[in-house]
Amino acid sequence: MAIALEGSVVDELIAICGPEGVFTGRSALFNRARVPAPFPAHRWEDHIPQAVVLPTSAEQVSEVVKLANRHGIPVVPRAGGTGLTDGAVPLNHGILVDVKLMNRIIEIDHGNRTVTVGPGINMLKLNEELRRHGYFYPDDPASYPCSLVGGRIGTSGWSLIGARYGHTRDLVVSFEIVLPTGEIIRVGDGGGRSTRKSSSGFQLKHLFIGHQGTLGIVTEATLELAPRPEAEFSAFFSFSDYMGAHRLTGDLSRSGVATLGGVVLFDEMKIAYLRRDDEAYIPQDESVRAVVACASYGNADEVRAGAKRLLRIARASDGSYMGDEISQGDWWSRHDRYATPQHGRTRDGQVALMSWHCEDAAIPYTELPAVREKWHAIASDLIQRFDMFDDWGMFAYTNGAHKAWGDYLTEIDIGIWESRWTDESWAAWVDAKREIGRVALEHGGSLTACHGSCRAGEVDLVPVELGGGFEVMKKIKRALDPNNIMNRGKYLLDQAYEEE
Amino acid sequence: MSDTTASERETDGNGRSTLPAEFLERWRDVAYNCFSSGHKFCREVCPVMQVTRDERHTPTAFQANVVAMEKGHLTLEDVADDYVHCTMCGACELRCPNTLFTGDFYRFRQRTIDVVKAMRALAVQNGIHQRNWKRWAELTDRWGNEPVLGWTRETSGARVRAWAAGLDLPTGGETVLFADCEAAFKRPSVPRSVAQLLRACGIEFGLMEQQWCCGGPMWETGYVDIAHRMAEHNMLDWRRTGTRRIICPDPHDYITIVEHYPELDDGFDEFEIVLALDVIAEALRDGRLKLTVPIERTVTYHDPCRLNKRLGVWQAPREILRAVPGLTFVDVDHVTQWSYCSGAGSNLWVEKPEITAQISSRRIAKARELPGVDGLVSACPWSERPLSEQGAAQGMEVFDIFELVAEAAGFEV
Repeated sequence: MAIALEGSVVDELIAICGPEGVFTGRSALFNRARVPAPFPAHRWEDHIPQAVVLPTSAEQVSEVVKLANRHGIPVVPRAGGTGLTDGAVPLNHGILVDVKLMNRIIEIDHGNRTVTVGPGINMLKLNEELRRHGYFYPDDPASYPCSLVGGRIGTSGWSLIGARYGHTRDLVVSFEIVLPTGEIIRVGDGGGRSTRKSSSGFQLKHLFIGHQGTLGIVTEATLELAPRPEAEFSAFFSFSDYMGAHRLTGDLSRSGVATLGGVVLFDEMKIAYLRRDDEAYIPQDESVRAVVACASYGNADEVRAGAKRLLRIARASDGSYMGDEISQGDWWSRHDRYATPQHGRTRDGQVALMSWHCEDAAIPYTELPAVREKWHAIASDLIQRFDMFDDWGMFAYTNGAHKAWGDYLTEIDIGIWESRWTDESWAAWVDAKREIGRVALEHGGSLTACHGSCRAGEVDLVPVELGGGFEVMKKIKRALDPNNIMNRGKYLLDQAYEEE
Repeated sequence: MSDTTASERETDGNGRSTLPAEFLERWRDVAYNCFSSGHKFCREVCPVMQVTRDERHTPTAFQANVVAMEKGHLTLEDVADDYVHCTMCGACELRCPNTLFTGDFYRFRQRTIDVVKAMRALAVQNGIHQRNWKRWAELTDRWGNEPVLGWTRETSGARVRAWAAGLDLPTGGETVLFADCEAAFKRPSVPRSVAQLLRACGIEFGLMEQQWCCGGPMWETGYVDIAHRMAEHNMLDWRRTGTRRIICPDPHDYITIVEHYPELDDGFDEFEIVLALDVIAEALRDGRLKLTVPIERTVTYHDPCRLNKRLGVWQAPREILRAVPGLTFVDVDHVTQWSYCSGAGSNLWVEKPEITAQISSRRIAKARELPGVDGLVSACPWSERPLSEQGAAQGMEVFDIFELVAEAAGFEV
C-alpha cells in the first residue's frame, strides 16, 4: 500500500489546483490504477497513486511538476487511460496528473487548417464539433470513442486510416509540453505553431511523442484539419488460403491509389473465431479461410476512380468479392466486434468471460507468413499449459503513413480468463509476450506499431531492439529528468540513474 | 426509513461496510463483464462525466468498484458518493462494446443502471444517506407524492388531482391516466394537455382514486421499502376501481412500472401499461386526432433518456412533431442524442443541482447551434424543469410535446 502523502504536500497541491482539483480518497486512487490491458487485480494496491490532481492549465501542471521535484515524488500523467501498455498505470505510486478537464477546443484556424485543443479532448467529440465546418481530425484508432489527444501523443498512436491521412505523429503539428522539471515549452517542426516542415534545429517533436509519459505532460496540441471525406469505398475479398490473401494485400498496398486508407488481412484463426456465432457473422462458405479488406476515403470523383483500380487488382487475384452487405457501415468495428468477454472459450469449448488482449508488432510485409506461424505456436503452447487462454486469431494492417506499402501492424488477439490468474500463469504469459516480441525482432520488425512496449515481457527487449539508441534514451532521460520524477519505472529508464 | 443497525451490516475489521455475498452473487459477473473489457467507450457519452471529467464518475468505475470491493480494497463508505453521479440515462449501456457487439443477436445489454441502483440501495440499507435524497424520501413517504414544490409545500395524495380541475374526469374505470408528481404538481399543463387530447381521440378514461408516486425515484435513490409501498398502493387503487389499462405521459412512470411492479405482484399481467406518446401517435395515424391550428415555430426535439436510450422509443415523437401544421422541425438523430441529457434523471438535481444545471445548459447550447431553432420540445416533465431554467437563461423556450400538440389541436393549454 502506498504511504499517504504528507499533509503539507497535499496542501501545496490544493494551493496549486484548488480543493476541487485534488483527490486523495481511496476510490479516486483505485479508479486511476489500471488501463484495459490485463491487470493483476490481486495486486491492485501496488498500482495506485497517492494523490490525483485534475489541473485546468499548463501553469498548474508545471507547478505540480516543480513541487514533485522539490519533494522527490513521482508524477504519472494520465489522459484517457485506454492504452494497452500501461503507460498511465502508476508503478511507484506518486502524484497522478489527470488531464481530462483540459478538454477545450481553443482555436480553429481556418486559413492554415489547424485546430488547437487541450490534451483531454476525445477525437469523436472533437469531430462532432469540426463536422459543422466540413473538417475532420483523422486520427482513428480502435479506441476512437474513448482515447484522448494527450494519450495519443504520449503513446505515439496509430490510426486505422493512417495510410491515407497519417498517424498521430503526422497529425499533430505542434504541441506544448511541461518538461519533467516543470518548464513549459512548445515543440513542432521548427518554432511555428502551424509549420508543417522546418529544418531549424533538432526535430524535437518526435522526441516528445511516444515516450509513455516519461518525458513530460502535453498541455495543448495543434492538430491537422483534413477536409471531411465526401465518399468512402470499402470492399472485402475472401480466399481459400492465407498466401493468396497475403499476395492481394501486398498488391493493393503497392497500388499507389492515393485515396487508399488501409488494407487489413484476416487470417484463418481470426475467421474461425468470427464463425463462433454464425447467427452474428455474415455467413460465409466453409472454403473461406482468409479475408482481405480495404477502404478508401476522399473526394467522390477520386474515390470512384481509385475503387475501380482496386477492384481491377482484386479481380486478378485468387479472391472473391464478398458482397456489399459486409462492406456497408463500419467495417473497422465489424472486424473487432467479437473482442468482448462473452466470446472467450475454454479448451473444450465452454464459454468463459475472457479479457481481450492484443499483442502488436510492426512486421515487414515479406515476413508476415512466417511470423504468423510462430505466433500461433506460442499461443498454442500457452493454451496447452493453462486452460485460461484462447487464440482469437490475427490481423495485419498497413502501417505506413500516407502510403500503404511496407510494413504491417500485426496483431494476435488472445482471450484471457483473468479470474484464473496465478503467479505461474502470469509468469507464463509474460514469457509468451516476450517470445512474441522476440519473433518480431528476429524478422526485422519492431516490438510494437501502436501500443508501446513498456509492459512486463516486451519491455525487456527494448534495449535489444534499439541497441545504442536505448543508451541515448537513457542519457536524454537523465538530462531532462534529473530527479527521475516523470512516470518513474517505465521503459527500464530507472537504469539511467543506476549507472551513475 | 429502513436503516439496519450496525450489527446487521457486513463489515470489515474496521467497521466499514463490505458487499454481502448475495450482492456479489448477483452482480459479480456483470461487473466483471465491464472490468475485463475495460474499453471505456461509455466515458464520453456519459452526461455527468462530460461535466465532471472525474474517473470516479464513469460507468467503468461503477463496475470496477464491485471488483475492488470484492477484493477488499474499497468499502461502501469509500464509494457511496461516487454513485450519486448518475442520471440513469442508459447511454453507457448502449455505447458499451459488450452491448454494441453482442446486443443485436443475444439481446445482451451491459447492466450499469441496475448496479448503480443496487449500490445505492445497499448504501441506504447500511445507513449511508445523501442528505437531500433522505429528506426527499421521507417527504414522499409522508405525503404520497414527491416534494416537487419544495420542502414545505405539501404534495399529498389528496391534492394530486388538482391539475384536472374543471375537466370533469371520472374516477377509475377500464383506463386511467397516470399523471405523477412532477407533471401533476409542477407542470400541470402536461396532464391537462394529455387529458384533452385523449378525450379528442375518443378514449374513455378516468383518474385514480388517489394516486401516489410511481416509486421510481425511491428505487433509483435506494429507498426500496418506500418504493414498494408506493407501488403496492397504486396497484391496489387500480384493482379497486377495475382498472386494466394505465396511460403514462411520463416515461419515468412507464419505465418504473414495467421494470419494477411485475416483481412485486404475480398478477401484474392483468394490467396493460401504455405510453401516452404511442396513443397519440396512433390516433394521428388513423385520423382520430386532427391537428388544425398551425404552430409557426422552428423547434428541435430533445430525446428523453428513458424513452430513447432505455426503451428505444424515438420514432413516435418525431412522427407526432411532423404532423403538427406550420411547425418547422429540425431533427437531431437519436443516436447523436445518446450523449445528450437534461441532467434531471434519478434525482441527480436534488443532490447535485450544480451538475444538473451544467448538463442541461449544454443540452440547450446544442439546440441553439441549430439554424433558426428557438424552441426545444421534450416529452418528459422531469427534463423540462432544468431545461426550462437553462432555456430561460439562453433564450430557448422549452415545451412539452403534449402541450404543443394540444395547442395544434385547438385546446387551451
